Amino acid sequence: MPLQDFTTSQPLTLGVELELQLVSTHDFDLAPQAQDLLRVLANHSGGWDVKPEITRSMIEIGTSIQRQHGTLLAELHDLRDQLARGARKLNIGIAGGGTHAYQHWSQQQIFPGERFHYISELYGYLAKQFTVFGQHVHVGCEDGDRALWLLHMLSRYVPHFIALSASSPYVQGVDTGFDSARLNSVFAFPLSGRAPFCLGWDEFGRYFDKMASTGVVQSMKDFYWDIRPKPEFGTIELRVCDTPLTVDKAAALACYLQCICRYLREQKPFEPAEDDYLVYTFNRFQACRFGLDGEIVDPKTKERHRLRDDILRTLARVDEHALDLQALDASNLIRESLFAGNDALWMRQQHDAGKPLSAVVEGAAQRWMKLGG
Amino acid sequence: MPTAASAALPDAAAPLWTLEGLRAADPVLGIALLMLIALLLAEALHRAWRVPRICGHMLTGAIAGPVMLRLLDRLDLDPWKPLIDLAIGALLFELGTRIRPRWLIDNPWLALSSLLQALLCGALVAGLLMWLGAPGLTAAVAGVVALSTSPVIALAATHEARSRGQVTERLLLLTAVNGVIAVLGLKVLRVAMAADPSFPGEELMQAVISALRVISGSFLLGLAFGFALDRLSPLLRGTPAMPVLQIALVIIASMLAAQWTLSPLLALLVAGMTARARMAHGLTVEPHLGSAGAVLSVLLFISLGLLFTVEGFLTLWPLVLAIVLARLAGTGLAIGALARLSGLDLRQALALTLALQPMSSLAVLLAADTFGWTSQLPGAHTPTVQALLLAITLMQVTGPVWTQLSLRHVARECN
Repeated sequence: MPLQDFTTSQPLTLGVELELQLVSTHDFDLAPQAQDLLRVLANHSGGWDVKPEITRSMIEIGTSIQRQHGTLLAELHDLRDQLARGARKLNIGIAGGGTHAYQHWSQQQIFPGERFHYISELYGYLAKQFTVFGQHVHVGCEDGDRALWLLHMLSRYVPHFIALSASSPYVQGVDTGFDSARLNSVFAFPLSGRAPFCLGWDEFGRYFDKMASTGVVQSMKDFYWDIRPKPEFGTIELRVCDTPLTVDKAAALACYLQCICRYLREQKPFEPAEDDYLVYTFNRFQACRFGLDGEIVDPKTKERHRLRDDILRTLARVDEHALDLQALDASNLIRESLFAGNDALWMRQQHDAGKPLSAVVEGAAQRWMKLGG
Repeated sequence: MPTAASAALPDAAAPLWTLEGLRAADPVLGIALLMLIALLLAEALHRAWRVPRICGHMLTGAIAGPVMLRLLDRLDLDPWKPLIDLAIGALLFELGTRIRPRWLIDNPWLALSSLLQALLCGALVAGLLMWLGAPGLTAAVAGVVALSTSPVIALAATHEARSRGQVTERLLLLTAVNGVIAVLGLKVLRVAMAADPSFPGEELMQAVISALRVISGSFLLGLAFGFALDRLSPLLRGTPAMPVLQIALVIIASMLAAQWTLSPLLALLVAGMTARARMAHGLTVEPHLGSAGAVLSVLLFISLGLLFTVEGFLTLWPLVLAIVLARLAGTGLAIGALARLSGLDLRQALALTLALQPMSSLAVLLAADTFGWTSQLPGAHTPTVQALLLAITLMQVTGPVWTQLSLRHVARECN
């Protein structure tokens, strides 16, 4: 199947997808009840969407096309409230977080569906290990060339989003030492990593045709890149974020991306180059491992900076765009979280205070469902 | 109730490997041998036909009991009753910790379907028995006993199936709720019996006071033990002694409930719920409260098998069939009618209906001093009570099969 044409979208429009954990209210382990929740939510109101994910303890929600922080946040609050009501009806909890702290991958069940079974057949146990939870942010672009240009311009900022959203320190009951251990599960997939350095849609089309002719891929869905073009939506999709513990943080991250995109498009502070990727995996590792305390290398100047400082400087640069996009609340929340720490830190603080991991998951579910304040 | 077994005296001089020798053997040795046979038979049946192991345990009891080999009479079990009560108590306490009563508030349709299930089951069983000629109050007693699901089978079967999902959660909650309704219903009937001059026994006021004492006393006892576990646990946290503490408290609670003629079922469920509410993540409850509890559970299911009866089946089968079918219809109608509103699809409603079928006499058995509890129902209509016992036998021995069929094949909640 050839690569489809890139659909035109209004630039800088946003769409947010969140993969969410369904947990039992008894032991706070993952609960295989996605079908039940989807049925209860079948007649939900609002323009958002809810659908299944690879295993039966996950669901994915997607917002409608949004332009501003205020309306995006209002929609996320609405869907959060409706999901929480549905979950309470079924006696389950819904939580954010990039991994479940102590679920066992072998106990996960593949959601019944053609594509999920195809993935399960192809990837074997990796499919069940892919019970990880991410936030994807779509940004609208007018054409494929502009989309690919923006995609490669954004590669420099990928560590920002990893560190800010990191909420997966625990895997299989153990502190991994990483702030975002989720991305280690994604690395295991053969088509993960970064997109090839193509700056034109035609050139990208030729790359896709070559890959398709090898039989390795059938559609864009088979690429698990950190940022990938989504031609049918007319967007690029940032896929490196862990699902945050609150929808407010999810909205803020999406709008921080929107502000950076506007800054890059309007001010063109640099041009993308293949050599930008020389430090890409190092920076990415630093963000996953050390979060906001990680050190990254600027691909242009080769200077080292703490991620926290780099984000602070970026926030200062994009402030005027945040003002124009009415996203100041979002950038303020991002700024505050630089000092308060990311969600991984919050989870570790809870556990270090003596709470068992089940209590940490319960706390995460309460935060996502906004129970008890 | 006299049986052929108790009438025939065993020959103490017979060698141990003969049937006569086994009948005369030390009861402790007898029970230990039975446990060994139960384990082997259960495993063989499970491997050959995937029969739930609990069925094998009960079948061993049934084969050894008055129905077949007469190795033990049901009244011989009376000295073991405290241990068996403890096994039941451990499972009830675990059930109490396992459920979240707040769900009934979060989902009022579930609360309604739970009430409707109990009411419809009780009313249909009682109504049908009366239509078949049973006297009103005895039919009502049968209806109340029949409205409950066996908590021990529900919990043990979900342990064995290792199921997780909506039907499993509802099965456990509804089992606890209808068990409580049965206890309360029996107290109401006691009062009704006392108000009826044709029934001999206690006076009305005495019955009312007794009912209120039992209900409030059981509730308070449960609360006290939930609090006690919360207070004592920090002293042992991090040590392997937690299941021992839980079992010790369950023994004390069971004994006190029996001593004060309270309802152990109500007390232990409340103790479990209180402990969970107070301790939240600090409370770790192993299945059957650990390995000691698991041994007692095998003993429990053998004992349930020993209590089986087939006496009078040939004449009473219409009544037995009426009880079984009325329960099935009542449960199916109540669960099915409110399925969509409470968040279930029809397949899950069918699964839940099947899973709720295992019957139990625990609501009365636990409060009785002896396994011959039917004798404690003054003026009860004997054929109806015997039909009830037959129905319990049938739906206990096949109960785990219904639950497994439901969870594994209909609801598909087993991994």
